[in-house]
Amino acid sequence: MFGQQNGLSLDQAPPIRVIFRFFLIASLFGMGGGIWLAVFAGDIMTERSALLALTHIFTLGIMASFMIGALFQMLPVIAGVVIRSPLPKSLVFTLAFVPGTMSLVAVFGGYQEELLYTVAFILLGFALFLLIVIMLPGLLSVTHHTPSSKGMTIALTAFAFTFIPGLYMTGILGGFFDGSNYTIIRAIHYGFGLEGWIALLIVSISFQVIEMFYVTPPYPPLVAKYFTTLVLSLLILKVPLLLYGSESSAAAVDTVIGILLLLFALITLRRLSQRKRSVTDASLWFWRLGMGNLIAVVVSALLLKLGSFGWMLGVLYISFVFFALSIVFAMFYKIVPFLTWFHLNAEGYFSAPMMHEVIAPSNARRHFWLHLVTLTTLLLSFALPALFRLGGILLILSFGVIAWHILSAGKLYEDTKLKGEKFDLGMGMQG
Amino acid sequence: MIITAYLREEHRECDTLFAKAEEAASKADWDTAGVHFREFADETLLHFKKEEEQLFPAFEAQTGNTQGPTMVMRYEHSQVRGLIERMNDAVSTKNKDAFLSLAESLMILLQQHNMKEEQMLYAMCDRLIPVDTKEQLLAVMEKVSL
Ligand SMILES: [Fe+2]
Ligand SMILES: [Fe+2]
Repeated sequence: MFGQQNGLSLDQAPPIRVIFRFFLIASLFGMGGGIWLAVFAGDIMTERSALLALTHIFTLGIMASFMIGALFQMLPVIAGVVIRSPLPKSLVFTLAFVPGTMSLVAVFGGYQEELLYTVAFILLGFALFLLIVIMLPGLLSVTHHTPSSKGMTIALTAFAFTFIPGLYMTGILGGFFDGSNYTIIRAIHYGFGLEGWIALLIVSISFQVIEMFYVTPPYPPLVAKYFTTLVLSLLILKVPLLLYGSESSAAAVDTVIGILLLLFALITLRRLSQRKRSVTDASLWFWRLGMGNLIAVVVSALLLKLGSFGWMLGVLYISFVFFALSIVFAMFYKIVPFLTWFHLNAEGYFSAPMMHEVIAPSNARRHFWLHLVTLTTLLLSFALPALFRLGGILLILSFGVIAWHILSAGKLYEDTKLKGEKFDLGMGMQG
Repeated sequence: MIITAYLREEHRECDTLFAKAEEAASKADWDTAGVHFREFADETLLHFKKEEEQLFPAFEAQTGNTQGPTMVMRYEHSQVRGLIERMNDAVSTKNKDAFLSLAESLMILLQQHNMKEEQMLYAMCDRLIPVDTKEQLLAVMEKVSL
């Protein structure tokens, strides 16, 4: 079981290009979402399908791309799962996943061409199949789960519970299946998509990195051990409740999950305040903002149960998106500089740039402010719809900054490999 | 779990010393930073020595595997040693940017290393090595010095 546990050692880590390419795709989708918002600003409030399109840009285009890129890098580290020839595999995956997602978004967004459902179904289905072939055998072979690899497996399970029914619905719309179970499938898709996958992904990331990046006391053992399993079980329990019309019990399950997530956010904020490293950087503020947004998500969801306020739904939506994006950016500002330094250093380049030379802390801080202004603008847009356009432009800028950071880190990496001084480590670690 | 408990405690002590050094450096208080950094470096190198000279050989003897996890751990130690040396230079040249930047890399590297040890390597040692051997091992590790 431990045989392949080579962790961050270079011979097992995929080339840096793999993860950078996924991150770049995610940021391009983010810019695309911003353009969409800037152009079709008005539709968001009225057209359900426009919201659907935007939602899938966010979930598939941005979140899934970031997650899958990170998984290519992290699976060897946290689960000892080595992915062989990652470069061609990830490339083929991308070639199916990106156009598949784009077709789905286009057809949701009003480009009414039924063929697009078919295209999306085939391409996304193939992408999912590839992902399963690439990652599942390794994950299943892990016999001794650490808290981290368990969390990752649960997040991936929730992702599958979201993705597979989604794919099936696309297949129905594309004419591959008859639509007899459509409502069941949709209930599963919504149930797992809205509360399951992204929240569980972020919870398991937190369990893995909060203690490690900021040197905090560990999460309470009971929480670290059972939280993700508990939420996943509740979500599974909710499916039959939704199906057999027991809406009030399903709503009660939602409330329990909401309270659990609230608890998680509060513990995380507390841990961040207990950190031993007193130095504050942008990523710390991204974490705090992310947890603040999670609290806003739960509070507005609970308030919505008391009565319906149109703008509250908007707050819920935006807070959820910014909960996820803030954590993604927090991780981004650690991962990209670290990997750039790490790869070059491990390859023996004496002139490997230090983390702060890859992305200057002042630039990360500036991006945090941009992110905060974007959030505020989008929240205000529900009261003042004219602001949506500005929100879209700010989103383009924000993801533009991310794309620029990836490109310049990639360039720095290539330049160092071309010109850098290298010394032979002679560690016998190659191969 | 006496191995895990003992060595995990040492990881925590190193973290505390490191955080003190980093805080002082961020305020450009180089005297304090130097003192705490030296303490951190000594503690860490001593801890590595205990692992490399006592724990890892015991693990390798128990499992018959010298090319597996212990090899990776030794390799990561060498990376950390390199960073400690460069941070030491940053302290003596009072280069705050370099110090904080190296600190960031060192912390991520060291924390993921420690996590792997605590969750996997130490846990395996605790499971595989007989109790009396473990107690002897702890007694010997107590006496290791730089
Ligand atoms: Fe170690
Ligand atoms: Fe250790």
